[in-house]
Amino acid sequence: MGAEEVAAAAAAEPAKKEKKKPTNIVIPPKKPKLSKAERRALQEAQRAAKAEGGGSKPKPKKGGGDNGAASNKGAASNNKASGVDDKRSTAEGAADGEGQENNSGSSATDNKKDDKTVSLFSHLPQPKHPTDQHLSSISSTIDNNLHPAVPTLGHLYQTHSLLGGNARCRAMLQTFALLLQSYTPPPDTRDFRVDVDHSLLKPAFQYWTTQCRPHSVSMGNAFSFLKLAVANLERDLEWNEAREILLESLEAYVTERVQYAGKAISRHAGSKIQDKGDVILVFGRSEVINRLLLDAALTDGKTFRVIVVDSRPLLEGRDTLEILSRAGIQCTYVLLNALSYLMMREVTKVFLGASALMSNGSVLSRVGTACVALLANSNHIPVLVGCETYKICNRVQLESITGNELGDAEEVAFTDCARVGPSNRWGEEKKKDGSVLSDWKSQPNLKLLNLMYDLTPSSAVTGIVTEVGILPPSSVAVLLREMNPDSAFKGTD
Amino acid sequence: MLIMTSETSHEEQLQLQKEQQHPVIADLCLHLSSKSSISTPSTALPPHPPSTDKLPSSSSSSSKKSKRSSIPLPVAAIRVLLNVIRRSKAETMMGLQADLREASDVMVNFAKLGGPIPAVLINNDNNTANNTKQQQRYLLAGRSHIALSSGCELFLKYVTRASLETPDFTSCKSQVLERGERFAEFSLAARDRISSVGGPFVREGSVVLTHGRSRVVESLLLRAALVEKKRFRVMVLEGRPDAAGAKSARTYEKNGIPTTVVLDSAMGYVMERVDMVIVGAEGVVENGGVVNKVGTFSLGVMAKELGVPFYVAAESYKFTRLYPLNNSDLPEMGGIGESLQFLDTLNWSASGSRKNDDGDEKKEESTPTSSLQDVKDYVVNLPSTVEVQNPPCDFTPAKYITLLFTDLGVLTPSAVSDELIRLYQ
Repeated sequence: MGAEEVAAAAAAEPAKKEKKKPTNIVIPPKKPKLSKAERRALQEAQRAAKAEGGGSKPKPKKGGGDNGAASNKGAASNNKASGVDDKRSTAEGAADGEGQENNSGSSATDNKKDDKTVSLFSHLPQPKHPTDQHLSSISSTIDNNLHPAVPTLGHLYQTHSLLGGNARCRAMLQTFALLLQSYTPPPDTRDFRVDVDHSLLKPAFQYWTTQCRPHSVSMGNAFSFLKLAVANLERDLEWNEAREILLESLEAYVTERVQYAGKAISRHAGSKIQDKGDVILVFGRSEVINRLLLDAALTDGKTFRVIVVDSRPLLEGRDTLEILSRAGIQCTYVLLNALSYLMMREVTKVFLGASALMSNGSVLSRVGTACVALLANSNHIPVLVGCETYKICNRVQLESITGNELGDAEEVAFTDCARVGPSNRWGEEKKKDGSVLSDWKSQPNLKLLNLMYDLTPSSAVTGIVTEVGILPPSSVAVLLREMNPDSAFKGTD
Repeated sequence: MLIMTSETSHEEQLQLQKEQQHPVIADLCLHLSSKSSISTPSTALPPHPPSTDKLPSSSSSSSKKSKRSSIPLPVAAIRVLLNVIRRSKAETMMGLQADLREASDVMVNFAKLGGPIPAVLINNDNNTANNTKQQQRYLLAGRSHIALSSGCELFLKYVTRASLETPDFTSCKSQVLERGERFAEFSLAARDRISSVGGPFVREGSVVLTHGRSRVVESLLLRAALVEKKRFRVMVLEGRPDAAGAKSARTYEKNGIPTTVVLDSAMGYVMERVDMVIVGAEGVVENGGVVNKVGTFSLGVMAKELGVPFYVAAESYKFTRLYPLNNSDLPEMGGIGESLQFLDTLNWSASGSRKNDDGDEKKEESTPTSSLQDVKDYVVNLPSTVEVQNPPCDFTPAKYITLLFTDLGVLTPSAVSDELIRLYQ
């Protein structure tokens, strides 16, 4: 995107901004709420200004010179928009200053570096990096609206310590429960529902999504459920009663739609596992798939082999391997490049997990899943995807580009597979010696891309195992309709 | 003493014995062998001449060889369940449902073990108990238990729904009986509805290929020929081992449709000259695939490869919540271990031992012993170490099926799951 286009876009945006002043809700009047498009425009404008101005405050950002600075500035303005106190942004300002002092030597070279963003994925937000700013901000948020549990969880999200749709959603709901328990409505509000939503739930969710890591579909659906539960509370309830109701519904959501759903999925898929002779291939780590394999082996007593396929940089398959082999299941572990060898020879079934199900039946899952599914398909091996219904998304996605998440490109460069877990990386110094790509940033014409998700087309999936049974991918839309009968289009009859 | 076939184990024999004396089974066989007694089709369906109404229904000429009736197995089963309701001494809906569940399990188990008894082993003595049992097994011959279990499941769902709507027991019971009767009628009328929606797909001057003996397909093609007065040819696959195709060829020819019979193995050879393929179904599974007589899968793949539309005609009570992933994932079917007779018919007819007339049945019956003598020379006997597999049914995945003709209308394979979700909600 040239600087001219950005300036033109930025010029067009302020007109939009004025229209968007909210009228009915009472909010901190000084700073108008910016929508995501407007924040992006602000970010682009600032980036353009910086590119022309010559880089005054480069941040030590690993994703690439100018971009990092611009997006952090954008992040600072985002904070302002979400109504966080000035104190916090001054803390960041101080950190900014420190960063500047530390890197004043390299500031000149930073500006001259090429833009390391891949243009095809420029519509996706750049990954955030945990720096000291977040750890220090935990103490500063005690005085602000954000409960300290929020940045704590945010830190887990950001460092990829907490991976997986179910785990992230559960943690989010637990944090919300904590927030609700420690919350008291301000004395002068008549309707606490608005206040709960506005000052408790929304800031936390926005913080996680914009500051830490874009939310998964599971988290999004659970958050919508919570907002709906708050909106459905009766107007004249006492806060204590209301809180009890909300906590109960949170509990029920997790129990029914995650836990019991997982058990039902185990049952349905378990009937498809044949005793003595099945060789099942799994990819990465999926809570649902691990559960169903353990149930088949331990509860039903079936004998089968499992092949665990893993891929860099997250190497989640190692957890799967540990869980399954501890239970006594005979396992084989390979990396993704060995897939075609195994597929043709031994595999009888493939079980995959999912992060989300699109309404056209395509499956959004960890990057590499599409590979596995398509290869299985071409070898006429049935592919079963295990997914709870709460992960069904009302979106139609046709390929992996429009809706995805960027991971840290540095993880692609850092090829040491011996590290124990992703979060260890942030604690220690980066081992620059020995890695072939350790100076990739200074290579012209070299960009590294690390995607988190990919889309498996519905034609590659034999069956989707949900808590209501095994369904063909074309029936996901039917499930969506059955789950939301009010919003369904009924047709002319 | 039961007839001992070499394949069925002793335990199965005992099981079979116990079940055949169950009143439910006796009832079932009674319904199956009776003449079809259905009320006239509703006015919604277009009227057509009575000759095409029902196919040659059974008439119990001899106790040993009563022909198969035109009543579908699931409909007979539903009638049995209605009788169970009438006879039941339960005082609550839960008790009634338990009775129904038990009866349907008995029937499904019986159907699973059932299968054709090879003709050479039929006992010739006059023990009536044996004859009844033979007759019972014969009546069940070649039918799959999938349609039976799905029909029973659907009926049980109806009952459950009724019990939820009407808490009072006696009024609920009568409502269920009434609904059950309507269900049975609706199921029988389903065939007519299918013929009327599927008939227009048979075009004037086309060649239709069919496989297996499905009464639904027969009524559909007969309706197209006799009511819609279309001229078309029918090509039939022979249908080893039960000569199903050959039998249906007789029906078509009798009604004036020019028919060609080919070997099963010739399906690839003739596919180039065929304009459409239509088959029936034992069961329609959740992913839109069908379970039907073995050979249907090959037909489907062949048709897809050569660009010939592949249609399936099935009543909606055959929709079942099974989800086979591939052919190895089908449930256990009765008769899979039944022996096959291998006969070199090419050389047998070449030797002139058998005059091939118009295939009238009276002539066959009058000289059984002489034909058997001649045939024996051409039977290929295999040593017992050779394993023979004779699966009665196979699974055709949804991607080979163009459309399904059902009493709910013309459906695409992906709509089957939609219907199932609605039916089993």
